[in-house]
Amino acid sequence: MLIDLRSFLIIFSLLGIIIAGSLTVYSVTSIDAFYFVRFLLITLISIILVSLFFNYVNLNRVLSAGWLILGLNLALVLSVEIFGKEINGSKRWLDFGFLSLQPSEFMKISYALFVIQYLRFFNFKFNIFRSFLLLFILFITAAPIIIQPDLGTGLIYILSGLMLLFICGLRRIYFIFMGLSAILLSPVIYNFFLTDYQRGRIISWFSTNQSLSEKWNILQSEISIGSGGLFGDGFLNSKQNEFNFLPEADTDFIFSIFAEQFGYAGVVLVLFLLTLFVILSMVVVMQQRRLTNDMSPYYLGAYFTFIIGFSFLMNVLMVSGLIPVVGLPLPFFTKGGSSLLCFSIMLGLIFSSRGFLRG
Amino acid sequence: MDNRTFFRGRTIFLTFIFLALIIIVLFRFFYLQVINGDELKELREKNINTFEYVYPKRGRIISKDGFVLAEDRKIFSIAVNLNVKPNEQAIKRLISIFPNKIENQYVKNIVEKSIKTGNQEVIVSKLNQQELSKFLVRSNELEGFSVIENYERIYDPHPSIFHILGHMGYLSERDKTYFKSRIDQFTPSLWRKVGQSGIERIYEEQLRGEHGKRFFLRNARGQKKVEIGKEDFTEGNDLNISINFNAQKKAYDLLDGRKGSIVVIDLRDFSIPVAVSAPSISANDLRDISSKEYQALLNDKKRPLFNRAFMGLYPPGSTIKPFFTIFALSNSYTNWQEQIYDDGFFRYAESGRVFNAWREGGHGLTDLSKALVESSNPFFMNLATRYEKDFFTNFLESGSFGKRLCVDCWPHQFSPLISDQWKTKNFGSRLFRGDLVNMGVGQGYLSVTPLHLALISAMIAKKGDYEIPFLVKKEQDIKKLNFDLTEQDWKKLHESLTQVIYSRNGTGIRIQPGDMKLAGKTGTAQVKSINSKEEYDDLRENEEFRDHAMFIGFAPYDVPRYAISVVIENGEWGGSVAGPVARDVLLEVFSAD
Repeated sequence: MLIDLRSFLIIFSLLGIIIAGSLTVYSVTSIDAFYFVRFLLITLISIILVSLFFNYVNLNRVLSAGWLILGLNLALVLSVEIFGKEINGSKRWLDFGFLSLQPSEFMKISYALFVIQYLRFFNFKFNIFRSFLLLFILFITAAPIIIQPDLGTGLIYILSGLMLLFICGLRRIYFIFMGLSAILLSPVIYNFFLTDYQRGRIISWFSTNQSLSEKWNILQSEISIGSGGLFGDGFLNSKQNEFNFLPEADTDFIFSIFAEQFGYAGVVLVLFLLTLFVILSMVVVMQQRRLTNDMSPYYLGAYFTFIIGFSFLMNVLMVSGLIPVVGLPLPFFTKGGSSLLCFSIMLGLIFSSRGFLRG
Repeated sequence: MDNRTFFRGRTIFLTFIFLALIIIVLFRFFYLQVINGDELKELREKNINTFEYVYPKRGRIISKDGFVLAEDRKIFSIAVNLNVKPNEQAIKRLISIFPNKIENQYVKNIVEKSIKTGNQEVIVSKLNQQELSKFLVRSNELEGFSVIENYERIYDPHPSIFHILGHMGYLSERDKTYFKSRIDQFTPSLWRKVGQSGIERIYEEQLRGEHGKRFFLRNARGQKKVEIGKEDFTEGNDLNISINFNAQKKAYDLLDGRKGSIVVIDLRDFSIPVAVSAPSISANDLRDISSKEYQALLNDKKRPLFNRAFMGLYPPGSTIKPFFTIFALSNSYTNWQEQIYDDGFFRYAESGRVFNAWREGGHGLTDLSKALVESSNPFFMNLATRYEKDFFTNFLESGSFGKRLCVDCWPHQFSPLISDQWKTKNFGSRLFRGDLVNMGVGQGYLSVTPLHLALISAMIAKKGDYEIPFLVKKEQDIKKLNFDLTEQDWKKLHESLTQVIYSRNGTGIRIQPGDMKLAGKTGTAQVKSINSKEEYDDLRENEEFRDHAMFIGFAPYDVPRYAISVVIENGEWGGSVAGPVARDVLLEVFSAD
């Protein structure tokens, strides 16, 4: 199997991000010296296994089961209500003993598979019925996630779904209409559909009172980032983490710990690798497009590439205090099994959308 | 439109959004890390670094003859060690070392509290040597507990010294205002205990020292984790006080349970070698006292907490006569030649009131010298009828009435300056001549503290020049009594006071000072105003109404070195009761020279 320069660079940039992520996860948890190696190996092996799996299983076969996958995933999301374990007041996880999974994380993938399967049947031509149907399914499947309550994951799911429809060619008028109604309906949603906790988060975002715990978290996150300076305090030298000033340092706020250890230089490097990954993936997608009439691999490739890129950026925007914090893991920077598996599957799907590894 | 064109357009659109966000993030992180980095790093250091004050060791108080009267002694306590949580086993072992002092639940509660607050809470305090070594031997089995050191104020237990040293107590609101005006940058939160009286209070700033610091790194819950540095405390300064402790103890013991006071002033520098107030308590008694016990002390009829030497106001009685002799001679109200006939009483012509004197039948023909030696009240009352009010007040003022009497005594009381204003303020009328008659023999409105009496004795001994007495530090301010006496007058006065002790008719003849060369004046001050001896015999049944025995004196009479005042409440006889006490105290003081 030959690998051309672009593919090599894509894999190189991904590897860089994964190593940076593993190092940071290790520095936050610091269990023992072998933990890092073990964690890195597990991450890589799972990505390779999943990629190989999707490479060998014909993508067409996967796609033809799209509706089934979505149905199953939805069933798992609903079953969390019954079998799930509760952490921090919300039921999100299914406990498999060796691994707790958060089924709602996978909805981003399942919905995409379903949409591609459905649209491929109509050669990716939207009409009013299809447009409304797909939007309806998106919102109706988001409902149980939001009810869990997991507003963050639910919102990300909806945004991902909309992005998919955007890539696949849903007409602009729908986005404009939805944007306007979201703005018009926001007071109603705020007053009648949000819990006190969620409202508190929004209020705290606009408040200047530094003593609010949400504000405090953001402040601590900014302190971590800023303390890194230009070149950082060095690997394993995050004082904010050592003295527990940053809550959820091992999940949502892990990038602040990374920034504290590796400084602005490290941040620039990681963002450069991310940009490299996204741009090169898109270039590949664009060029491969000429090879075939079936657009599905390219839609999927573009979609998953953007999911990874934007998830990364959203998380970084949150921890640096530019947008409100909702629970959103940083791709490849988390020891959360669901997120890791989810992104591995995405990578596998990207690689298996033909041509990537073919050279 | 062709799917592919559509797809390409939208993908490029998303790519641009992605790039725009990347740029925003890069700017944001540049702002946080490069522009604001130092500021945020400082905030991080504030997050993590914390310190704890280490209480300083307070300075010692040392007597002139070398006794350590107060010092901080190290005590050892067992406290919770925050780095390891003690297990059941360790708690059991700890209890086995202190079987009667602590029990399981108590220890657990304190451990919980420590973990919650992040402070090392004390479980057992003040270990004795045996307990300490028992703990140290087994300390590796006692994980979670550690020995901490601090200091406890220990005083010489003799009760004579309590009023001088004072005591330490928890900082109150009143203390805060007191010390804020006296000590630069007084930080109340740092000082758990402060001096409540005496030297401990006046010299708080010198004695207390400066806190050390222990630096810690702490986590977000405020628990101290690692000690990273230490800054030693500065020990407080030692203070040398002018008290001659041997004489002080002797003086207290000589009062022998009676209420009273003895003050000695060293005439060479006006320091105070003896200042005793009885009854008293041991200064250690107040350290861990319960409020009930403290209340009992406050309510004690003998008032052991009251410093009579600096605070008690007594009518000086006849001991004031030499002082007024100076006044009378200065203003030519009399001279050494004038004689009057003392027939045992004095009738005040203006009111017709009759004042009986102590000796029935009187002293007969009496001049100033005889009036001093034999203590003739009619002579001095008669003299007082000639006093002019304003001159009288001026003279008192020059003798420090109404003024501070000690540089560093606490608490401390002025002797009231008797004047028209004073009487108007307190009794609603101006001074009458009759008031002066009463005051002329040290009764009526006139009252002085024992310290002032000693100082008056010093003024007489030093022929009118005097300084403000002190315990630690001298004040460079020489005072002068307002007088106009010739050297001859002074000589006569000193001679008369010598004869009080040595002449056969002298009221102090029973003192018999041996070769000490004592000069002085006895006094017997009425507690209640009476008119006849019979009336007094009735009164005397109640001990509280018996006269106070007083004595002032100085020695040696030719070159005076010490001045003394003795007040024995309800002791009745200045010559036979107070005088001998003064003699014995002075003997002890002289023996140290």
